[in-house]
Amino acid sequence: MRDISTPQTIDVSLRDVVKHYGPFQALKGVSLEVAKGETIVICGPSGSGKSTLIRCINQLETHDSGDIVVRGITVDGTPANTRDVRIEVGMVFQQFNLFPHITVLQNCTLALRLLNKGTKRLNEEKAMYYLERVRIAEQAHKYPAQLSGGQQQRVAIARALCMEPPVMLFDEPTSALDPEMINEVLQVMEDLARGGMTMICVTHEMGFARRVADRCVFMADGEIHEIAPAEAFFDAPESPRLRGFLDRILPSTAHS
Amino acid sequence: MHFDLSLAIASLPALFHGLMMTICLSIFVLLLGIVFSVPMALARMSKRRSLAWPALVFVIFFRGTPVLVLLYILYFGIAQFAWVRESFFWPLFADPFGCAVIGLALNHVAYMTDVVRGSLLSVPRGIAEASLALGIPERKVFLWVRLPLALRYGIRAYQNEVVGFIKGTAIVSVVTINDLTAVANGIFQETYDPLTPMITAAVMYWIVVNLVRLGFAGLDRWLNRHHAPEPASRTRTRKAAVA
Ligand SMILES: Nc1ncnc2c1ncn2[C@@H]1O[C@H](COP(=O)(O)OP(=O)(O)OP(=O)(O)O)[C@@H](O)[C@H]1O
Ligand SMILES: [Mg+2]
Repeated sequence: MRDISTPQTIDVSLRDVVKHYGPFQALKGVSLEVAKGETIVICGPSGSGKSTLIRCINQLETHDSGDIVVRGITVDGTPANTRDVRIEVGMVFQQFNLFPHITVLQNCTLALRLLNKGTKRLNEEKAMYYLERVRIAEQAHKYPAQLSGGQQQRVAIARALCMEPPVMLFDEPTSALDPEMINEVLQVMEDLARGGMTMICVTHEMGFARRVADRCVFMADGEIHEIAPAEAFFDAPESPRLRGFLDRILPSTAHS
Repeated sequence: MHFDLSLAIASLPALFHGLMMTICLSIFVLLLGIVFSVPMALARMSKRRSLAWPALVFVIFFRGTPVLVLLYILYFGIAQFAWVRESFFWPLFADPFGCAVIGLALNHVAYMTDVVRGSLLSVPRGIAEASLALGIPERKVFLWVRLPLALRYGIRAYQNEVVGFIKGTAIVSVVTINDLTAVANGIFQETYDPLTPMITAAVMYWIVVNLVRLGFAGLDRWLNRHHAPEPASRTRTRKAAVA
């Protein structure tokens, strides 16, 4: 669909990516190009390979075949290469995965410290800047367990941002949250997207997808069944499987 | 037969000497335990069979052998081999203290390997993944994330092992070491009073063990301070200021 000759920079490119868990094929040749500054939403039924796909991008899972290129770096699985790729890509998880034994501020500065970046003061200033951006600076000296789920997830976003990655991955960032906390996290993500971050988000928040996503991707059984701009994706889905999926998760608009 | 207070007091210096031996021995072996159990646990958890298997055999063998038997083998058995007597390590095996340290350490490390392994396994995988995703190299993730968290999960099991271990050192008297139990036993042999020296020794063990417990309780509180609720004082002062 996209014109290949457009002079856009491609931040993330996947070509024919295949991934097995033992004999089970979780990704059956997935191809996707994400332009700089683009926000992609990936949805699909449970077990369709959404997490596997985005975890292959930063090599939390190693793919079996196909090409993954992140900001010009062709992922090859060697330790040095993997580290280079991970510097380019931040990730936010469903379960927050904050370091429980250190404060919010230290959560944000730990990676900088362990990678010998910056001075203590510079790192803390940077951490405070990003904590402010996710509107949680006043909790900087608390421990994660003293925060609500939504606050913890915003800290997790700030922690990833402190590494100043040009690309961010989100794996169902709001699925573990109480409903009243979902919006505060989505709002932060929306701000990021509007600020020009390249984002790949696995989420079933369809309101967010409509408002923020440039393109939406529908996955099922380890394959991409449909890629379309948000509007077309929701209002004129082509594949029957996507139509069925949308009917199930958007019951109110099923017969519009 | 009654508890002879004047004998107890008269025995205190000798018993104290024995106690020092017990403590010395314990510190030595506990340090060896800390140094060796982490690499052993890593070997045991390694995907490489050439590492995992020897570690597993070590754990099974030394957990399954009574310390008493180990000490007999080390102190009396090994000396039978001429090549051991001629080797560089002979001074260690010829010395009862050396034998006791090695024998206790083999058993302690075998137990500790499983304590460390269990603690490492209880660190949520997602937290290590989040660290990797931030670009932190695997080695540093282990050192700065998994190990400190494992320490917090494992501290209670470790305390139990340490307390059990300290009481278990009483066995070293069989290789002629004058630890607290051996000294108390000596006083019994001399005075024919079994009650007084043994009860005094028991009280000394009790004091040491409970000091250790107190120490661990403090350490546990400090390590797990992140679970403590918000200190109430700050909110209270703020309310007071408003009022
Ligand atoms: N470590 C693993 N070992 C074996 N199979 C796995 C592993 N991880 C995922 N799978 C399988 O691969 C398939 C895709 O999993 P994945 O987690 O990518 O799905 P998903 O689309 O993210 O699903 P969900 O919406 O439930 O998160 C599933 O069938 C899952 O059972
Ligand atoms: Mg998933």
